[in-house]
Amino acid sequence: MSWRLQRFPSPKPSVALAVRAVAILLALVVGGLVVAVSGLNPFALGNQVMKSTFGSSFGLEDLGLLATPLILTGLAVMITRRIGLWNIGAEGQFYAGALAAAAIGLFVEGPAWLMLPAMFLAGVAGGMAWITIPTLARAFVGVNELITTLLLNFVATLLVYYFATGPWRDRGAGTLGSTPRIRYEMPELWGMVHWGFAIAVVLTVLAAAVLSFTRWGYEVRISGANPENALYAGIPVRRRIIAVMLLSGAVAGVAGMLEVAGTVHRLQGGISNNFGYLGIIVAVLARTSCLGVFAAAALMAFILNAGIILQTQGLTTSAIVALTGLVLLFTAIGDEFAHYRLVRADRATA
Amino acid sequence: MNFQYSFSRRRFLALSAAASSSLIMPGWVGKAGAAPLAAIKEEDAIIAFGLTGPVSDEGWNTKQNEGAKAIQAAFPKAKTLVVESIPFSADASRTFRQFVQEGAQMVFSTSNYGDFFASVVERSPEVAFLEADGRRVADNLGWYYAAHWHPTYVLGVAAGLLSKSGKLGFIASFPVPMAISSSNAFMMGARSVNPSATLQVISINSWFDPQGANQAASALIDNGCDFLFGVMNEASYLQVAEQRGVRAAMWSSDMRRYGKNAYVSSIIPDWTAFYVDQVRKRLEGTWSGGGQTLLPLGGGIDRDAWGETVPAEVAAKADAVREKIIGGWSPFTGEIKDTTGAVRVKAGETLDEVALYNWDWSVEGVSGLST
Repeated sequence: MSWRLQRFPSPKPSVALAVRAVAILLALVVGGLVVAVSGLNPFALGNQVMKSTFGSSFGLEDLGLLATPLILTGLAVMITRRIGLWNIGAEGQFYAGALAAAAIGLFVEGPAWLMLPAMFLAGVAGGMAWITIPTLARAFVGVNELITTLLLNFVATLLVYYFATGPWRDRGAGTLGSTPRIRYEMPELWGMVHWGFAIAVVLTVLAAAVLSFTRWGYEVRISGANPENALYAGIPVRRRIIAVMLLSGAVAGVAGMLEVAGTVHRLQGGISNNFGYLGIIVAVLARTSCLGVFAAAALMAFILNAGIILQTQGLTTSAIVALTGLVLLFTAIGDEFAHYRLVRADRATA
Repeated sequence: MNFQYSFSRRRFLALSAAASSSLIMPGWVGKAGAAPLAAIKEEDAIIAFGLTGPVSDEGWNTKQNEGAKAIQAAFPKAKTLVVESIPFSADASRTFRQFVQEGAQMVFSTSNYGDFFASVVERSPEVAFLEADGRRVADNLGWYYAAHWHPTYVLGVAAGLLSKSGKLGFIASFPVPMAISSSNAFMMGARSVNPSATLQVISINSWFDPQGANQAASALIDNGCDFLFGVMNEASYLQVAEQRGVRAAMWSSDMRRYGKNAYVSSIIPDWTAFYVDQVRKRLEGTWSGGGQTLLPLGGGIDRDAWGETVPAEVAAKADAVREKIIGGWSPFTGEIKDTTGAVRVKAGETLDEVALYNWDWSVEGVSGLST
């Protein structure tokens, strides 16, 4: 009696989920081992993290604040996955959205009920503008969007630095150049968590509904799964690519706008806090599920928040970066394993 | 007059005699005014430190960490929390909030984290906060820094004497008052001995970016600069200067082992006495918010011992200027022009310490800082 591995084109959802759980658990165990080796007690630290995160409204508010941009950047990356593309540029679109929203907030005057939607639209436009070139290059010339979206991140980062430390600089502000405070602020929803959290949730649910229950969403999925078949079936694949990529940029731009109007209230370099890149991890963890984005963003928010708690206990920042990397690594390995099943050779061939 | 912190008495007398509005003092530019926070037992005390970079940078953060260690040594039963590499982002708020959450009664922000810090200060009235390079005060918040422009002027004099090309280079982080006052003081020191000297500034958008500092240093040397200075937290541009055969002055610590031929001197802060004093007040129940402290030349900020390739006569000339400043003379006296040639400080007028602290325009001869 011999055994062999059988590969499935797509893993069973229950298996995939179980593998996820194991991967995350393994990452935590390895992280805990590293902590133990460095002479700290991982259980005491774990206890401290749980207490600080869930034992107070303060910890939960931090989770909500962190999850808001992560949901949106995760969603931005995830929706391009639906059509088989990768938007690695959520970071740049985040910056572009923040820049555009800050421009409106700084230089246009009006009542808050009008200005906040205006900033929101500016964020949408900024994010879209930033993904326009990669979109057109992908749709018409077939240029790999991985490269173009990634490289534009650096341009956006420096552009924001230029405005925040140059022409829009707040004189005398801080050790890091930033613009003056923008007076239009997202109202708070619960504690420090602003209404951006609700916006992120609504946008994600909307995206899930459109992608899962409309003909447009179906065409997007078919275009992603098999572009040739989609074309043969009369689906305008190019137009779907353009729409999905612009939508993705818009969502990341909204994340940037919300960070400006909800959390930071100024434009400054480094405002993205790497949320654009972390969105990639969120999207990978969420697979192609819109609602999975919530769970993945919550997990990332928890890890980032745990990082801050652990730093006050003497761990370095790099330990947390390593932990997020471990989660991604084990998940990627686990995802591959989830495609396989061990079967008895005699039965499989029978 | 009620002194919150001891500083050079000689310098105080000299300055208070000179200044008609004698509220502006060295050491303290404004004293704490709010009601003191309640006393704490040493064994219950938790003192937190937020740092901008790694404690191993051998620069700014190493020095700040020495301050934390001095507190631990002075109050062995107290607990100190030190978090390194806090980004200038909303994560800073999270870290400072976490300090409060952990029960810290006193929090040192060793750099200016702006609103990210202020939002936590506002929500935690029972906790004492001190902000380096800060601008705001509150009932539970004071700021502190060092009058670094004085020793920087002294290094500028040495640079003016040592530079052959008269072209000096400066590696800045951001166009913020700290970098502006530093580059201005350096330029004015150099011009006092070489009126045609110029200072080219490159901002690298970071206080700790060895690679960026390296590139900026190479670019400045390619442009003809033969003396580099800057406000970096680490030593990388000194190594470039050493390789390229030019000179460099540094910030925060003695870095000569990274380039013994290039090393001229460094601006060295010493926070330990101030920190221990502040914590002592907090424990005693005499600490209150509103304090505005600038450690003076010779009392918390100074130049390092001169590098081994600095000629004795250059060192002597620069040190003579240092003595003059300690004696109460201010080099920041008009006429001072800005980069457009407009007179910003009239002849006979002197910029006071607060004006120097908030300096937001570049003096004539400086290029590259967007002001």
